Amino acid sequence: MSKKKITIALAGNANVGKSVIFNHLTGLHQHIGNWPGKTVEKAEGTLHYKGYTIDVVDLPGIYSLSTYSLEELISRKYIAVERPDVVVNVIDASVLERNLFFTLQLMELETPMVIALNQMDIAKNKGIKIDVEKLERLLGVPVVPTIAIKGIGITQLLDKVIEVAEKGRKEFSQIKYGREIEERIAKIEEMVKGIQFYYPSRYAAIKLLEGDEEIEREIAKIDPQTVLLAKRLAKEIEEIHGHTCSTVITSERYEKAGCIAREVQKLVPPLEPSIEEKIHNLTTHEVLGYPIMILIMLSMFYTVFIFGGYISDLLNHVFYSLEPFLIDLLGTGAASSLLWSVMEGIIAGLTIALPYIAPFYVILYILEDSGYLSRAAFLMDSLMHKMGLHGKAFIPLMLGYGCNVPACLGCRIMETERERLLAVFVTTLVPCAARTVIILGLVGQFLGIQWALMLYIFNLIVIFLLGRFAFKTLPGEPTALIMEMSTYKVPHLKTVLKQTWFRLGEFIKIAFPLIIIGSLTIKFMEVLGLLELITMALSPITVGWLGLPAIAGVTLIFGVLRKELTLIMLSTMLETTNFAGVLTPTQMVVYTIVIMFYIPCISTIAALIKEIGWRKALLITIFEIAFAIVLGGIAMRILTLTLS
Amino acid sequence: MEQQRVPDRLEIPLTSLKEGETGIISSIKGAYGRGRAGRGFEKRLMDMGLTPGTEILVVKSAPFHGPVEILVRGSRLALGRGMAERIFVVRKENV
Repeated sequence: MSKKKITIALAGNANVGKSVIFNHLTGLHQHIGNWPGKTVEKAEGTLHYKGYTIDVVDLPGIYSLSTYSLEELISRKYIAVERPDVVVNVIDASVLERNLFFTLQLMELETPMVIALNQMDIAKNKGIKIDVEKLERLLGVPVVPTIAIKGIGITQLLDKVIEVAEKGRKEFSQIKYGREIEERIAKIEEMVKGIQFYYPSRYAAIKLLEGDEEIEREIAKIDPQTVLLAKRLAKEIEEIHGHTCSTVITSERYEKAGCIAREVQKLVPPLEPSIEEKIHNLTTHEVLGYPIMILIMLSMFYTVFIFGGYISDLLNHVFYSLEPFLIDLLGTGAASSLLWSVMEGIIAGLTIALPYIAPFYVILYILEDSGYLSRAAFLMDSLMHKMGLHGKAFIPLMLGYGCNVPACLGCRIMETERERLLAVFVTTLVPCAARTVIILGLVGQFLGIQWALMLYIFNLIVIFLLGRFAFKTLPGEPTALIMEMSTYKVPHLKTVLKQTWFRLGEFIKIAFPLIIIGSLTIKFMEVLGLLELITMALSPITVGWLGLPAIAGVTLIFGVLRKELTLIMLSTMLETTNFAGVLTPTQMVVYTIVIMFYIPCISTIAALIKEIGWRKALLITIFEIAFAIVLGGIAMRILTLTLS
Repeated sequence: MEQQRVPDRLEIPLTSLKEGETGIISSIKGAYGRGRAGRGFEKRLMDMGLTPGTEILVVKSAPFHGPVEILVRGSRLALGRGMAERIFVVRKENV
């Protein structure tokens, strides 16, 4: 049999075990990137099965196919335009009604489908029994029960996918709405039929009635009459029901989903609350919830930084014991010194960033997949709201104190692009471990710990104010928290490790070229004697405005690579580690303030680019440089007044 | 059709329900009147299953004016306080 190619797309709500199924299917043949031109993550993979080459695309976890979010728009466009051979709709058997609401929408896209009825074990624990055959009959779509976390049902699912793919595109079953709606759908469909459009005509008609912005815009380009007609008909429905047409249609869809769910499931609630239920009650408890959260966060910190620190030291040790050997190998001279600086950049990346990012990812995914993150967000929501963010942003913010890089990458847990941007921005202002080196090593050491503490508090205030400012200036509506708290479950370790592995690969691809270019540029400047020139050029700012020694300018440039380098360089250039002799207290504080805010380090910039794109990353970087300089100068003047 | 206004058919915000009480959604007040923000907000609630006529059980509220935990259509949701305040329900008397 010759090799045949099939493309399948995985679609479904968040927390239904979609990524576990994806990992079961594709193993290590995965590629994680972004959707073209978008910041939404796209995971693809390939597998070979029974003579077929199957490409799998994991669509984002969503609850609906309207245009509320970018993820929803991407998903439905992908299905309508790219036309995968089969859409595998992964649904959570323990929350059947809401999952079927999404299924009904997928069916309206008239695409060949297979349903993976996943998390059958959780449903069973909740006392839910599902009649699979009846569900299949009512929907007119093949259903395969699975417990992905244990690998149960995956081969059956694949067999079904191939069966459906072979059958090709035929009749698609769909739900019927109330008569008054169906009549109007038919009218619009009649007009849409003549138009070449990538969505099925019935789907376009329904969405026009719902007032879907994307489809209205697209149809209006071709035939504005149809849009006007749809608007008029929607108004009629609104008058009949007393609710907006979109509400009426959504309600009916949910009613249908509810009917089907009630017909196929038998509920025998367990007499005692399950262990998952008890953990949920404890972790969201109004008093106990907080100490538990702090404990979990602290142990996360501890694990990431102890483990990361240990690996980092180990790698450092290995690399620097190789140093003489490498120097021998590279020889001396201009070219080799350039090469050496590149090596140092890579070593820095390997020893500083990666050891912390890897364990961070593992723990983040464990917390996310188990369901704990949503509970922490529940507890922290009211506090984060003051900065225009909701509860979930708390997690990356906390992690920023360790390293901004994983913290920025962690901001992807925010739902909308706007919130991701806000969270990322706030996160880069959090003093990471490297900045802590300077706060404690310079100010703490020479001015006393109370000054260091004051700087931390000052930093918190600035973060809060800037966060609020950004929140007020950024266009768009603030999204309130609306979040599912799915049943606690044991995370699938293999999926967690694979996710970590592929995300690390993604990070390396972006960060390492930047690190290499960055180190080369600085080395070039040094070799060409440009550093002195820059020192001079910067002196109006460093000396004139900030009141720092001119030499500080160079250290600030090197700090872009690694922030703790600034202090190390400052001591080499001033030829002393006793900063009290060469810097005034004011200079120390100003220098530290500038370092605290002035620029995300190069690895953080790389993470920013990955999360929010080049332009916004550049904007944040420029803003923070300007902000730090302005703030430093003001601080200098205030401090001079108060200290003299 | 005639609509009788009896005291216990009173529309109250979801946040007025006590823990363990059930309400039936009667209406959702848009965030900023009829503007776009209001529509997006309403659509999002609908998509999560909070359509008019749906039963909501209030499980608990987070402290410091935090979000409300609710059970709706067999799933557990956390709703930001501001959002919950705009959902109007009719209290379902406990048996």
